[in-house]
Amino acid sequence: MSELTISVGPQHPGSGHFRLIVKLDGDKIVEVIPDPGYVHRGEEKIAEYRNYIQNIPHFERPAIHDSSNILFAYVQAVEDLMNLKIPERGQYIRVIMAELNRIIAHLYYFAIYGIFVGHSTMFMWPMGDREHFIDLAQMISGQRVGFAFLIPGGVRNDIPEGMMTRVNDACNYFEKRLTEYERIFMNNPIFEKRAKGIGKLSKEDAIKLGVVGPTLRASGVKADIRKDEPYAVYDKLDFDIPVSKDCDSWARAWVHIEEMRQSMSIIKQALKDMPSGPVKLNLRGQIRAPPGEAFSRAEASRGAVSFYLVSNGGMNPYRIRLITPSFRNLIAIPHILKGLLLADIPPAFWSLDYWPVEADR
Amino acid sequence: MSEIRTFPDFLKRLIIVLGGLLFLAIIIFGVLIYTVPAISNFNNILLESFSNPIVMLNYLDSLGVGINSLFFKIVIFPGYTWAALIAAEIIWFERKFLGKMQMRVGPLYAGLIGGILQPLADVVKLLSKEMISPGRSDKLIFYSIPLLINAIGAALLVVLPVSEGWLIMRSDVSILIVFAVIGFAPISVLLAGWASNSKFPFIGGLRGLHQMIAFEIPMLMAALSVVLLSGSLDLVNIVQAQSSIWFIVLMPIGAIVFFIALLAELERIPFDIPEAESEIVVGYITEYSSMAFGNIQLGTYIRFYALSGIFTTLFLGGWYGPQFLPARFEIINQIEWFTLKTLLVMVIIIILRGVNPRFRIDLLLRFGWSRLLVLAILNLFIAIMILQMGWFPFLGGI
Amino acid sequence: MSETPEIKQQLPEREKKIADNIAIKLGKDVLGIEIKPKRIKVKIKYKCIKKAANYFKTELNLDHIVSVSGVDYPNDNEIEVVYHAGTYERKDLRDLLIALAYRIPRENPKTQTLIDIWPSIEYDERETHEMLGVFFEGHPKLEKLFLPEDWNDKPPLRKDFKNPGR
Repeated sequence: MSELTISVGPQHPGSGHFRLIVKLDGDKIVEVIPDPGYVHRGEEKIAEYRNYIQNIPHFERPAIHDSSNILFAYVQAVEDLMNLKIPERGQYIRVIMAELNRIIAHLYYFAIYGIFVGHSTMFMWPMGDREHFIDLAQMISGQRVGFAFLIPGGVRNDIPEGMMTRVNDACNYFEKRLTEYERIFMNNPIFEKRAKGIGKLSKEDAIKLGVVGPTLRASGVKADIRKDEPYAVYDKLDFDIPVSKDCDSWARAWVHIEEMRQSMSIIKQALKDMPSGPVKLNLRGQIRAPPGEAFSRAEASRGAVSFYLVSNGGMNPYRIRLITPSFRNLIAIPHILKGLLLADIPPAFWSLDYWPVEADR
Repeated sequence: MSEIRTFPDFLKRLIIVLGGLLFLAIIIFGVLIYTVPAISNFNNILLESFSNPIVMLNYLDSLGVGINSLFFKIVIFPGYTWAALIAAEIIWFERKFLGKMQMRVGPLYAGLIGGILQPLADVVKLLSKEMISPGRSDKLIFYSIPLLINAIGAALLVVLPVSEGWLIMRSDVSILIVFAVIGFAPISVLLAGWASNSKFPFIGGLRGLHQMIAFEIPMLMAALSVVLLSGSLDLVNIVQAQSSIWFIVLMPIGAIVFFIALLAELERIPFDIPEAESEIVVGYITEYSSMAFGNIQLGTYIRFYALSGIFTTLFLGGWYGPQFLPARFEIINQIEWFTLKTLLVMVIIIILRGVNPRFRIDLLLRFGWSRLLVLAILNLFIAIMILQMGWFPFLGGI
Repeated sequence: MSETPEIKQQLPEREKKIADNIAIKLGKDVLGIEIKPKRIKVKIKYKCIKKAANYFKTELNLDHIVSVSGVDYPNDNEIEVVYHAGTYERKDLRDLLIALAYRIPRENPKTQTLIDIWPSIEYDERETHEMLGVFFEGHPKLEKLFLPEDWNDKPPLRKDFKNPGR
């Protein structure tokens, strides 16, 4: 049969705002060419027109689901240049917000995974359970989605009273729900048939292609910025990094579930160990970074996010380069989809957790 | 109204006009039955007939549309209107039930109790949309497919035995009729995909064709084992053979095989590959809009009801059930048990929709041709063994 | 700023040792090394980029690239291309990032691609090409990635390109 080229294109319920040019031979995929760029805004250029405080909501927007993790890298780059030391309570609150964001983003991942394999219950349940964590984030920051809560120097506000009981309630409820997710989705024989052995990315290829995040950890490499290059107070908290040797789509989904469990335990520990004190430095006036360069990394929910900040002493940054985990994982898409069937594109492609807005910036 | 330029345009106009005329005719007829005799004769008897149902029924009998007439059985009950009502109610029930399973409410606002008029709202919405088709599609076939799908569902209703004496048609070869009609379903799916002249419906149509053909054979073999045990091809005789014990107890494997093949024929999750949303938009019904889409949905759900009824007939003992009405109303009791069992089968199929994702086409075909077929043949052997051993005394015999 | 800032009290020993090794190995090609805790920036001459990259990959085991950035310096009339490399294999060096930086003239920014050394930078170099106009010789597919195909203006991240409306 001759080759057929179709676009799993931007107007398609199986792709997001992103195009995959798929060359098919019958039902088998011969080649996949990703075509990003549909939501490119030029964020790095826009950032040069804004000062450091205005850039905080600006840099939240690429990955609005786990905004606090991207901001973590940004504020650390600014503080690196300015030589600031953040009060400890501020660091703990930052960690709590980051882990809440991680759970929220992972639940969104599972919801869309449910749609892509045709499991409508798995779409509704995570979206419903996400509300509990969005409520927790709203209690802390006042916003449901784009918090803009981390600023150079600390966090905006202190956490309210009674957070501990609310967090405990939400975590107990969610633990039970995680076992239900495993029963209805992860251990569902039909889903296992569709995801196990599909989209393999071997360990050597993962290192060679430089992928990050749960994709890397599901290929057997135990790498996580929170453990390798501990920032904030992650070196004082006790948690584990889930790693799987299976290298397929099911393993990536499994890594996401285990990471959610670890995040819940981190939040509870952080709330317990938090010292009292101020939550932000008293920086008067505008924030102006001295001339120099800084490169900081953080572990967002989709992988390692990095900021390369060049400053010439002005009000605005001279050059900011933002590397998001989805952009880093873009190179893995043609690699894992080669040789699969057309019907395998949704479970395999989404298991990489590629978020087009983040990759295009 | 748009101009008629080609034959398919004429067909479209014909569908709309006939549909409207039919609707209008039923209303006018219903009104005329009551008012014309009253105006022309102005008899006491007719005034009395308003309060005496037996006289009214006799009068309708004389017109040829009484309760025992073929017209009533085909059109009203247990024919098309009844099936359409059940289909509409099952659409609502499915949405509500799935909503409760998924921690949400489902339809809520249309109608007094929990959105019960939601299907009516959907029909009104669909009627008010524009019926368009792709530019270079084959309009003749494109617009006949909804009628074909409806016809398949309706034809299956003809042989469905809702009770022992009172059913639309009783023939010696009912099961063959059922399978002959089901054989049209893959053709309709393929034609819908092909006539749309677009890549995604085409892929959906091909997948539907493969899936339905693969699962018709295990279905046929499971039904064959039932025919062996009961000794007749007539659906009424098959039910009568289950008067002491249901076939699902004797042949559980056959029941499971038939049930799974049923899910594949109906394109329900986990086998809704021809309509796999995230991969090929909506599959072969992508390009349909307005009442064409509505007709396809109605036809699909009527086929759902009809095939669940066949499953009840073959394996669950048809209309048999404990008699808790007085003996005079035996027919109503039978009808009621039949409907109850069919609805139970439909509810189980709906539950399966809530917990399962979708299969992949090659896994599905491998499953259908290798494992299901083997189980069906095994079931056939079990049926023959039961027959030979004489464990099951039955009516009529082979 | 090349020596220790005030964040850590002691000199970063490990970084200093690695920087000394690099200086010894690459000799006169090195224009300067900046050391910060966990970050080393090596500025080299443009001509020996491949030799330095090979040294990074084979000797120092830096097996993947974290980012490829281009920075426009219109005052010096140069564009600086920076490669940040990290390692997964060597667990003791996981938190270290070594940057390889070189400058090329702004009017004719031609340079060689490093894709045969580090295959993961295919899309990064494409982005730098379209955003700053840097031409990477040897890259298999240097097309527009994010910008529309009919973009006929200056490369957007250059300093003389102003955002419309600003």
